[in-house]
Amino acid sequence: MADKVICVTSGKGGVGKSTITGNLATALAAKGYKVVAIDADIGLRNLDLILGLENRIVYDIVHVAEGVCPVEKALVKDKRTKNLYLLPAAQTKDKSAIKPEDLVSIVEKLRDKFDFIFIDSPAGIEEGFKTAVTPADTILVVANPEMASIRDADRVTGLCEAMGKPEPKLIVNRLDPRKVAKGDMLDAEDVVQILGLELLGIVPEDKNMVSYINRGEPAVLFEESIAGKALRNVGERLLGKEVPFLNLEYNEGFFEKLKKLFGGE
Amino acid sequence: MGLWPFGKKSSKEIAKKRLQLVLKYDRAGLPPNAIEEVKNAILNALKEFPFIDAAGVSINVSHDDSEKIEIEVPVKS
Repeated sequence: MADKVICVTSGKGGVGKSTITGNLATALAAKGYKVVAIDADIGLRNLDLILGLENRIVYDIVHVAEGVCPVEKALVKDKRTKNLYLLPAAQTKDKSAIKPEDLVSIVEKLRDKFDFIFIDSPAGIEEGFKTAVTPADTILVVANPEMASIRDADRVTGLCEAMGKPEPKLIVNRLDPRKVAKGDMLDAEDVVQILGLELLGIVPEDKNMVSYINRGEPAVLFEESIAGKALRNVGERLLGKEVPFLNLEYNEGFFEKLKKLFGGE
Repeated sequence: MGLWPFGKKSSKEIAKKRLQLVLKYDRAGLPPNAIEEVKNAILNALKEFPFIDAAGVSINVSHDDSEKIEIEVPVKS
């Protein structure tokens, strides 16, 4: 498989990179693929929390890069999903602790042992971002349907192009169909038009997401989670399957229709 | 799409327009007022030619293979 190493990036922080990385890795592992998720956000470790593995970390990626331990020893086995492993970021070092060539060599060591290698990129466009993107075969850009996030996604896209990487694919995260219906939020279609990228997924706002993260349980493991369902679909698309996008159209209630009729917002 | 109640544009449409414009400049690596300045300089230079329709001069940034500033200078008919 060519698209084995997948980097999730965004430019802007707080758009859901780690949540998406953790969930996609879990979704593919739950399907039986052997998956490792690498947290490349050195100094701001978070992927461990998404997966509920924060208490099991002994070694981290900086230990591996410094030769303190072999990469196998630093991998944390997931407690829920078979075949899923986490390579945690260091929490005390800074982003320059890992150079692009360090990550490339770590990924090369893991390549033959895994079906998929996810890299959770730090926010920003500095060295840490470049390190995270360098070993990737596929880049996923996460954008929320709002101004700053879209602009930053475009910037990141340009930088990937300048690095000679394939064009990133787009995941629109936290789309609120109700706001879209009211004309107060860009639709996924608008974001695609503005950025000109291939759309890989639309993840709707899910009020239960915080509680999944609170519990350290990825949403993709829950049938009832709408965001989880959207993310499972992204996983399927990464496998090359054609899955239709979820119908996220907001159905107005009676009172909302009435309000609109009388010129309310 | 189109008009929102009371003829006000939806914030979604405004966002889209603003983003499309700002990304044009971002991608071209141009400061946002660059185009205005180029346009003014060209209009100044064209002043002395009476056969040019100064009001019709249009200027645009395009992003195909490379960044281009395209200027259309109509001749008075």
